Amino acid sequence: MSMTRILKKTLELVLLVLCILAVFGPMMSLVIWSVAQTWYWPSALPQKVGFDYWKQALGVQKSMAIGAVSIVPAFLLSLSIAVVTVVVGMALAVPAGYALAKYRIPFGGLILFLFLMPNAFPQQPIFVNLLQTFTRIGLAGTVPGVILLHILVGLVFGVWITSATFRSIPPSLEEAARSVGATAPKAFYRITLPLAAPGLLSSAVFVFITSLDEFTGTFFIGLPFVSTLPLTLYSSSGYNMQFASVIALILLVPSVAFMLLIQRVLKAEYVGGMG
Amino acid sequence: MGPVNVERALKTGGRKVPPYIYLLFPAVTFMLLMYAWPFLASVGKSFIGPDGRLGLENYVKTAQLYARDVAFTFSVTVFNTLLTAAAAVILAVYFRMRQNGVSRLLAAVLKLPIFIPFVVVSQMMNSFLAPHGLLNVALAQLGLIDLEKPLQLFNFAGLSFGFVWKQIPFALLIVHGGFQMIDNSYIEAARSAGARLPRVVWRVLIPMNKSSILVALVLVYSSIVGTFTLPYMLIGGKVPTTITVDIAHRVGYFRDFGVANALGVCSYVLVLLTAAYYLRTKLREAR
Repeated sequence: MSMTRILKKTLELVLLVLCILAVFGPMMSLVIWSVAQTWYWPSALPQKVGFDYWKQALGVQKSMAIGAVSIVPAFLLSLSIAVVTVVVGMALAVPAGYALAKYRIPFGGLILFLFLMPNAFPQQPIFVNLLQTFTRIGLAGTVPGVILLHILVGLVFGVWITSATFRSIPPSLEEAARSVGATAPKAFYRITLPLAAPGLLSSAVFVFITSLDEFTGTFFIGLPFVSTLPLTLYSSSGYNMQFASVIALILLVPSVAFMLLIQRVLKAEYVGGMG
Repeated sequence: MGPVNVERALKTGGRKVPPYIYLLFPAVTFMLLMYAWPFLASVGKSFIGPDGRLGLENYVKTAQLYARDVAFTFSVTVFNTLLTAAAAVILAVYFRMRQNGVSRLLAAVLKLPIFIPFVVVSQMMNSFLAPHGLLNVALAQLGLIDLEKPLQLFNFAGLSFGFVWKQIPFALLIVHGGFQMIDNSYIEAARSAGARLPRVVWRVLIPMNKSSILVALVLVYSSIVGTFTLPYMLIGGKVPTTITVDIAHRVGYFRDFGVANALGVCSYVLVLLTAAYYLRTKLREAR
């Protein structure tokens, strides 16, 4: 009996160690590269370690190295695109989510279908065709074009999360407010909205992170004129490993931090739509 | 009916417009213009040849140039979906049956990759799996390989490592959630009737959790078919590569939207069954 227990415990620990190595190995690779100032093959670790590439990337220190530009402009661009995407995207998503949750809508199935399609089918052909349309109307390679694209990518999740949030609020509360004389808008603002606030906030954070991390669509619509942070990462990964690693870590931190914050509110399926 | 309502009723020709029309109009219009229209266009334009006439020219060219890549995409997808599902089910069973410090730590570690965006995962794998990358260096230090002849991983194997790294944690989250819903009494009943663990898993846990396992399978499958970043940064234009990379090359180098759309339709066809299952399940759930 005790032999099997020891065996079980050993197996469990082996599994743990293997998983830790598999999960953190690739992440360690990023960390090591981001501080590797001199690294000649076949040395297992860099000969000289320091934060020069971090300083260059953050614009603290100037460098002549290839590909070492400040990422501050790209970061600010990504940030402002994400903010506009959240504001416009949520302005579209919240009313739609509310309607889907609270009303019986004729042809409601078709509308749900429209909002489910992007999860079911590959999205790249959509981006290719948007590129053609956007080229014709002068939106390709522009910031507004990229924002429209980010809204598209985020809107589906925004609608699903907000609609799930509104559905979880019992209609009896709003009805109670109505019965003591509150008008419909007042009942909504005073009762439903405060209760929905955490879910709506999570949804907004989700849309924000989706925009910050969006790569594929921006690759088609934005290049070569709109260089967001993920695109800067991509273009530097070809010739400057250190620099690409620094950007990757800068992108990784907010994604993990924010998602850990809001994951309790999210259904498992939404989370898969990341990146 | 108050005076205001009468006025409004007169304006709208006697019929009151239900409020959900106003609420849904902006989002639905946006989706029709930015999603439904490009989707239909991608299918329609795949049948319009370079001379502007209706025909199968794009598909003929796709078959000639990219048949191997379509097969490669399909095999990468099937292999990684099955591997992911198997690993996720095994890990979820472990988490369901054993709750201790080790399993809690493992659960926390395995949550991390879900939140890391694909572009970061791609860069990670690009440096980790490189011929002189951390993996090869570490294996050489252990004496398992010769660093003069490192493992070449910018192919099926490396791509699979990247996909599995990102997708197992995601599938695990869904499957584990499903297992949590199964009451302990079912497991105990099977146990007391003399069933051993593998039998409990096969006859009780998996059948009772079929729907969440299927949803995880379907989402992982669709996601792998449609992923562009990882194959693009890991394999790029080398042969064989995935459909998504071919589409980017067709558009980027040749401005050939016809063949790009035909390739896109191929990727739709690859996910047709899983998409149908996903849409049906979700629409039923919503009723």
